[in-house]
Amino acid sequence: MTLTEQRFERDRIALASEPESQLAIAVNSLNFSYPDCPHVLQNIDLQVKVGERIGVVGANGCGKTTLFMLLCGILRPTMGVVSVLGRPVLPEEFRPDMGLVFQNPDDQLFSASVWDDVAFAPCNMGLSPDEIEQRVTAALALTEVQALAARPPHHLSGGEKKRVAIAGVLAMRPQILLLDEPSAQLDPRSRRQLIRLLDSLPLTQLIATHDLDLALELCDRTIVLNQGQIVYDGQTERIMSNAELLEQYALESPLSYSRPYCQLDHAPN
Amino acid sequence: MNDVQLLPFMLLTVAMLYAASRLPVAYLLSRLRYPGFFLLGIVGLLPFLSGKTVIWQWGMLSVRQEGCLATALIATRFFSIFTLGLILLGTMPFMTTVRSLRSLGLPIILADMTLLTYRYLYDISGNLSTMQIGMQLRGFRSQKQSVAWLIPNWLDLKRLASLAGTLLIRSYEQSERVYKAMRLRGYGWDEGQWGVGKAGGDREMGRQGDAEIMQNAKCKMQNFSTSSTRRSFSPHLLISLSPHPRSTLALTLTLLIAAGFVIADILL
Amino acid sequence: MHIPDGILPAQVCATGYALTGLATWYSLRQINRTPDPSQGVPKAALLTAAFFIASSIHIPIPPASVHLVLNGLLGCVLGYYAFPAIVIGLFFQAVMFGHGGLSTLGVNAAMMGIPALLAYHIFQGRYGLASRLQPKVAIAGFAFLAGAIGLGIAVLIFFGLVLTTIPFGFDAATERTAVLVLVLTHIPLMVIEGIFTTLLVLFLERVKPELLQNEW
Repeated sequence: MTLTEQRFERDRIALASEPESQLAIAVNSLNFSYPDCPHVLQNIDLQVKVGERIGVVGANGCGKTTLFMLLCGILRPTMGVVSVLGRPVLPEEFRPDMGLVFQNPDDQLFSASVWDDVAFAPCNMGLSPDEIEQRVTAALALTEVQALAARPPHHLSGGEKKRVAIAGVLAMRPQILLLDEPSAQLDPRSRRQLIRLLDSLPLTQLIATHDLDLALELCDRTIVLNQGQIVYDGQTERIMSNAELLEQYALESPLSYSRPYCQLDHAPN
Repeated sequence: MNDVQLLPFMLLTVAMLYAASRLPVAYLLSRLRYPGFFLLGIVGLLPFLSGKTVIWQWGMLSVRQEGCLATALIATRFFSIFTLGLILLGTMPFMTTVRSLRSLGLPIILADMTLLTYRYLYDISGNLSTMQIGMQLRGFRSQKQSVAWLIPNWLDLKRLASLAGTLLIRSYEQSERVYKAMRLRGYGWDEGQWGVGKAGGDREMGRQGDAEIMQNAKCKMQNFSTSSTRRSFSPHLLISLSPHPRSTLALTLTLLIAAGFVIADILL
Repeated sequence: MHIPDGILPAQVCATGYALTGLATWYSLRQINRTPDPSQGVPKAALLTAAFFIASSIHIPIPPASVHLVLNGLLGCVLGYYAFPAIVIGLFFQAVMFGHGGLSTLGVNAAMMGIPALLAYHIFQGRYGLASRLQPKVAIAGFAFLAGAIGLGIAVLIFFGLVLTTIPFGFDAATERTAVLVLVLTHIPLMVIEGIFTTLLVLFLERVKPELLQNEW
């Protein structure tokens, strides 16, 4: 038994022996079809514990975004039930305990200033002006964009837009954060800032991504979706080190696995 | 066409044409639903209001002959025109329609605008629905508490204006990118001037931002085009489409028949 | 606000097409006078699409909700491109959604497009008064006028045409009164259209002012 395998084993036992905590998300035999496109998602069963950070990976069009839309009640499942924090998700119901960060921040930022945009959700929750002020300030501070408060969101850089979009969701004080491709189109520094930010947030997080290095860094558990089905659900390291399986699902081992000789002292001469 | 006896013939002709077009009937019905209800809403009252000859009475309600005839006339006209339009456009790919219209003299600017609008219509509509989902997930519901009837919620109105404004700005920014991409691939240059424009562009490409290239290109354009009196730009968006004589003929015939009806209507 | 196929007599449809042809010709002539007419094409095309999609946003007016027409705003933003934009937008609405119709395309385009061009000229009027008013106040005021008048004239033409061409059996005086009453009941809508146009123009002025600066 190698050292890594030993560690996996230890983790597995630790996970199994943990007392049954409250489930953040519980999905039972979920099926979803569009009228013109059947079986977008099939037989999805998913249990997410409070505080878990899960990577959701898979090829383009495998159903990641659809799954998120179902989780937050924008789409109605064809079959099956989604419940979040012990309560079923109903379409048309506003759930501030769950926040979705879109892949393209422009989809989310529509106000004339950053401050207005972050204040949007708290206003809709009917909070007092003081509370709104406090939440916006806190969210802006957490994402380190206080300096941008008065700027129009359209003029920000990609990384700034992304952080403002996250601030806009965090101002709801959600307990579950769904992130759709958070690192897409970010430069390495913005990506690093994002990883630090997500790592520091003590929330249940689901991260749909093609950036397997990011998944490896942030998520202990990873789900692989392929053609609308969950084909793998387990520890991140295990799937990442299985190059064959990854390739089968249109993915690729992260650099840190596929090319360990990237470190100079390991490089072949 | 005020002659009621002509109506069955109109319907028959349209039905035969539709059968010949081999479009499914379900397609016609599904397209007819919305405008059909709209039309009924407008002319539905006619039988009760218009005319003097009462043909059926029930209490205060009386159905009048002239009104019924007018309704039949309008409904048949609507059905015929709508179905003919559907036959004409439903049997022709959209690009062919634009190409044929272009052969019939549709200005280049209109043809290019039509094609680009068509290309981005679904994109932009997708943008709007995603943005609306984004708002909904952060708790926005329209029709919330309001002061009184007919007075909209001021904050909601402001948010919706921001939403529409953001949609316009995003489309505008996208159009700037589209224009640059089109320009860098030769859009807008006169065909005879391609060689010159391209060589100049290539030389300067290395050291200047694209905005400047555009500026230069535009100046060059002006210099060259002063020689020709008629300033034109080539129909690049239609370049891959060859003229389609049969579709052009079909459109021409339809237009001629329509013009014939108008003239007959005025003369008779 | 679209007149469907079949209601109007053929002469009215033909007159509509003639007016639309004339207005399109005039607009294209103005566009061709710019240094590079092709430059505005993608902008006008994408904004045409955006406007027709934005006009599908529901505006809640308790107890119901309405769609805006946005033809005044279209004029403010697109200038002379507004008329071709409206022709194209109405063509798509007729073909794809069955709003309006192909035979009434000319009438509908003239009904909404000519007020849009008027709205554009009203909105340009803000430069004349800029010295006397604060710029922001001038923009807001003229945007309101452009939006409200743009819709107002379109409503007037709409009811005028519908009531005079459908044989409801009213006499001329009754028809005039009916048009007046219907237009008066649309004044709240005109006000809302004006307010929405103002809010939107102020938003654009703040975030992307170059969208409002099209001068010929």
